[in-house]
Amino acid sequence: MYMEINKEEIFRTHRAQKFALWLSMIGMFMLFASLSSAFIVYTASGVDKGIKTILPSAFIYSTIVIVLSSVTIHFANKAVKKEEFAKQKTFLLATIVLGVLFFVLQLHAWSVLIDRGIYFINTNASQSFVYIFTGMHLAHIIGGLLVLIRCLIGVSRKIPYIRNLYRMELAVIFWHFLDIIWIYLYVFLLLYQ
Amino acid sequence: MSSTAITPEASFQDSHEEKQSFIKKYVFSTDHKMIAKQFLITAIIMAFFALLLSILFRIQLAWPDKDFPVLEFFLGKWAEGGRIKPDFYLALVTIHGTIMVFFVLTAGLSGTFSNLLIPLQIGARDMAAPFVNMLSYWFFLGSCVVMTASFFVESGPAAAGWTVYPPLSAVPTAISGSGLGTTMWLLSIFMFIISQILGGVNYISTILNMRTKGMDLWKMPLTIWSLFITAIVGLVSFPVLVSAVVLLFFDRSAGTSFYLSDLVIGGEILPNEGGSPILYEHLFWFLGHPEVYIAILPAFGIVSEVLSINSRKPIFGYHAMVYSLMAIAVLSVIVWGHHMFVTGMNPFLGGVFMLTTLIIAIPSAVKAFNYTATLWRGNIRFTPAMLFAIGMVSFFISGGLTGLFTGNATIDIQIHDTYFIVAHFHFVMGSASMFGMLAAVYHWYPKLYGRMLDNQLGYIHFWLTFIGAYLVFFPMHFMGIDGVPRRYYAFTEFPFMEKWVSVNILITWAAVIAGLAQIAFVWNFFYSMRNGKKASKNPWRATTLEWTTEVKHIHGNWEGEIPTVYRWPYDYSKPGHPDDFIPQTVPHSETMSSNLLQDFHDNEEAIKIQKEWNKENNRVESES
Amino acid sequence: MLQNRFKLFLSFILAIFIAFSQPSFAWVQSETNNSQEQEQTEQSSSNEEDEDAEEQDEEETEDAEQGDEETDEEAAEENEDDAETAAVDEGSDESKTQASSSEKSSVSPQNDNEDTVTSQALKTIVYYIFLFIIISAVVAIFNRIFSIYKLTQVMNGKYSYIKENSIQAVLLIVFLILFLAGVYYSYAVWGKWSFRKAATEHGQNIDSMFIVTTVLTTIVLVLMHILLLGFSYVYRLKPNRRASFYPHNNTLEIIWTVVPFVVLTSLIIYGSVIWKRIFDVPEDLKNSAIQIEVLGEQFSWQVRYPGPDGEFGKRNFKLTTPTNSYGIDFNDKKAWDDLRASDIVIPVNRPVRFHILSKDIIHSFYIPDFRVQMNAVPGMTNYFQFTPTMTTEEMREKMDDPEYDFIMLCAKICGTGHYNMQKKVVVVTESEYQQWLNEQNKFFTDDMKKEFSVNENIDKDDSKESATASLN
Repeated sequence: MYMEINKEEIFRTHRAQKFALWLSMIGMFMLFASLSSAFIVYTASGVDKGIKTILPSAFIYSTIVIVLSSVTIHFANKAVKKEEFAKQKTFLLATIVLGVLFFVLQLHAWSVLIDRGIYFINTNASQSFVYIFTGMHLAHIIGGLLVLIRCLIGVSRKIPYIRNLYRMELAVIFWHFLDIIWIYLYVFLLLYQ
Repeated sequence: MSSTAITPEASFQDSHEEKQSFIKKYVFSTDHKMIAKQFLITAIIMAFFALLLSILFRIQLAWPDKDFPVLEFFLGKWAEGGRIKPDFYLALVTIHGTIMVFFVLTAGLSGTFSNLLIPLQIGARDMAAPFVNMLSYWFFLGSCVVMTASFFVESGPAAAGWTVYPPLSAVPTAISGSGLGTTMWLLSIFMFIISQILGGVNYISTILNMRTKGMDLWKMPLTIWSLFITAIVGLVSFPVLVSAVVLLFFDRSAGTSFYLSDLVIGGEILPNEGGSPILYEHLFWFLGHPEVYIAILPAFGIVSEVLSINSRKPIFGYHAMVYSLMAIAVLSVIVWGHHMFVTGMNPFLGGVFMLTTLIIAIPSAVKAFNYTATLWRGNIRFTPAMLFAIGMVSFFISGGLTGLFTGNATIDIQIHDTYFIVAHFHFVMGSASMFGMLAAVYHWYPKLYGRMLDNQLGYIHFWLTFIGAYLVFFPMHFMGIDGVPRRYYAFTEFPFMEKWVSVNILITWAAVIAGLAQIAFVWNFFYSMRNGKKASKNPWRATTLEWTTEVKHIHGNWEGEIPTVYRWPYDYSKPGHPDDFIPQTVPHSETMSSNLLQDFHDNEEAIKIQKEWNKENNRVESES
Repeated sequence: MLQNRFKLFLSFILAIFIAFSQPSFAWVQSETNNSQEQEQTEQSSSNEEDEDAEEQDEEETEDAEQGDEETDEEAAEENEDDAETAAVDEGSDESKTQASSSEKSSVSPQNDNEDTVTSQALKTIVYYIFLFIIISAVVAIFNRIFSIYKLTQVMNGKYSYIKENSIQAVLLIVFLILFLAGVYYSYAVWGKWSFRKAATEHGQNIDSMFIVTTVLTTIVLVLMHILLLGFSYVYRLKPNRRASFYPHNNTLEIIWTVVPFVVLTSLIIYGSVIWKRIFDVPEDLKNSAIQIEVLGEQFSWQVRYPGPDGEFGKRNFKLTTPTNSYGIDFNDKKAWDDLRASDIVIPVNRPVRFHILSKDIIHSFYIPDFRVQMNAVPGMTNYFQFTPTMTTEEMREKMDDPEYDFIMLCAKICGTGHYNMQKKVVVVTESEYQQWLNEQNKFFTDDMKKEFSVNENIDKDDSKESATASLN
């Protein structure tokens, strides 16, 4: 048993865990970076490769939605720092709703593509890549949503303030990261369309 | 609304109860020492499994025309008539490679020893995120289970080589293992990658954020440096394998064309077009090459430690060793193309990768020289760990030198995908890295289990394995030069290969004997857990922090405060000091008679005090 | 107490072993069990030839195994006895085996094969497990004896860790000697088996690169091992020795960084020059070389020569049919004179450029004697250009083997038949080559034409023209 557990050690662990989150974001970044370079190499390999379509407008909407969600979670974070838990709850809920909306919009964008005849299963793999990029991002969004829900549960159950604060800190960083990754992906795909 | 105030004790209450249930203590433990043991034992079991697989295919290679009813008894339809089928042979080599490279030498080596040593050697209570650490183990166990389960599938386990190149791995009709077996392989590796990233993130963060007072980066033992750098390399390169695997998964299951094009398999014209297997090769080897360095870097650190402690001398060139570790890590991510010299990629790339690959030999050579210099004028104690460490250096020299052949694109034309390559990587990975791992087990067993391993069994284990491994892999170089390709089921179809069949018999017997010698190790390992001699706190008389903890494991590692660190970890045989080692926790003020001015770096005050003391006591500071 | 347990255990082991050492249970029989079973069912009409062959095989493999099996002396002796008696007296052996097989199992009908496989297998397993247990027991006994010896020494105050330690040091030196001897042997014997002069122009360059690298690495290998193991011995634990505190020496570090750097840079430059020479072929040389196309598939190679027009017809994998297994697009008239060859035949001293394709899996086009290797990747064409310098005849003379052939084999895992995917490569004189070319058949056979005219509309006049033109 620890004989002398002190606050300092807890905060140190928290700091280390936050750092660990940054590190895992480096890992996730490498994932999307490698997919990007695979895409670039593939698309450059022939004139008949490439996205060859205008990306659905649903992507614009989903971009707006996710940026909005970053704003709401920012306010949620501000609220918790000021110990305004009702506000925190509201903004968290809003973020989650926006996150789900983002998810739905992405799926809608996929259905638009399918209607155009641009399938995932394709001899032009650049088009398949669009699904891969957005799909991998969605998988991480699901993770992000779970993190947000955990925060929401925490606020509702009135967990100790320090833990609430800590959970929000991590959630905010991760959610902003997802937002930035999406913006990068969207711009990247736009450049190649 | 006010928040509930939190007391520090309260926050720890739920994660570290006084009496933990069996499940919490042994199964779903978040304690890094328990997780280390879990990693180690799982890796040992998987290693035995992979060893068994290798004996099976070695039997096939040595006696290609003989029937072995035993095999049919165990393997059923995969060894009809007592002879292993060619399909199954390829599955054997595939899974053998996968398990050894990933599960044993990555998870078993860096998983175990990062978990055990990082908090202990840097002075932390536990990892940065113990829960995530536990998840890392359970994902690893899950991946082991899935990989083993792939043997019980109707169509057999993956059989396209551990590199799983499409189109062979992408089309189930190309080879039977490319059906469900390969899907399970992909799933297993996906879980494994998650395990490694979860672990690696923990290791890096703990090292950077949770060192104890006085533990600067330049006071960390080389073991920690190597585990740190390994984790960084892993973090950067494993996600790339995720993308390779994801794309391959979709090519197989959905019919996309990332890697596939122009295929007519078994008479069937496949619809895929436009893809290229070379893309897969690039993505795979972007991980694949750093992966093998991830396998050897911890061994480097471990061997530095073991050589130093058992020669009673500081490791020669501590800073140079750290810089060479960094150089190897950085270079390892830009050499992957040397696996693809003959794929038909742009020849210019071939030149580039040859350049970077041969450059990586320089820091590696520096390390080998430094190891040898550590032995010079030492006072060497041959514990089994020490023998394994010396063995590691020997294998690394032998294997590393053959890297000069394989890394040279022009020579690679001749030896690519032949037994020369097999010999090369079995020396550097299968022997050097493995010996590093064994040295670590022998060396840190007292820390893991509080008891000593039996020395005699250790010697037997070492000598049989050392000689056995040389006998197994050295002849393979020549087979490769002659042009015998790897992954060949039998040498019976080509006249020029027939002379090597007798050599195959030698190799197989050596492999069998070396394999049996591992039983000595396993017996020793499990028997000594209960019946070994009880270990003292610091049985090897080492300077590092882990030996300042109590023999019995406690959460939080140190009762009371974590010790402060004052000096680097290599104060062995310091002139002027009565003992032949000074622990890191001993302040310089207590060792005035042996302090060197360089110990104080730029601390003017301390240098002044020391100079005064020297004058008063007529001490002339000598540097050997 | 311990002693009693040991005795009990040992006697148990010995008893089982004796029981198993009888001929009917020994491993020798398990190899020929099948033949024995057959013998039983066809007692009168046993095929003596089969028996002879079996026994011969038995002895051969026995010899091979026993030559290497140094650890189980007892077992070997037993088996040798059996083998000798078997060899000496065939007739008596027959009856012996008959007797013993009837001993262990009553008449087992032929369809009882699975049972016999299982029982054979079980016997083999049990035998080897017991063998291993015995060896382990022996090892354990020796271990125990040694521990007791050590304990008595400790009690008498005569124990010296230093001595025990030195034994390991001595063993390391013994290893060093064996190692150096082994390296020498392997170079002398296996090296000789494996290294012979390349039969192409660029191959000679690769070989000189190889030799230079070998010389360098061998020197380092030998030197470093002498140092490593020598230091271990010289600086072994000694009672009044204190290690020297020598943490670093920057000069040394610089030396042994710069020297490898220089050596490696020279290797890199040398290698790059040769690499460029091999792959950076000028346009005109590309075109003037003989073009040969090789298509790899599971598990064979098809070879296509361009024919008199010197150009290959297009290939479209979608047109692959059982008749047109190459997938040649005969719409392209250039395909009509393409020749199908059963071997790769090339003239000496003329550059030849291989186009390497794959139908299904990644294969590898590998000709060891030529120092040629290039992957066959589906979806792309790879090229390798080289000039052979030795004819097959010359090689046969050099190797003193009238049946020696250059061979091309697959060197990339491609499935079940990966180990038997070969093509003969014959290097001949120019005139022989021309002669051989004339004898080759076209891809565009009559069957192919039929299939093609069914599928496509061919201008019949055109086909007639090319048919006559090709009769050269």
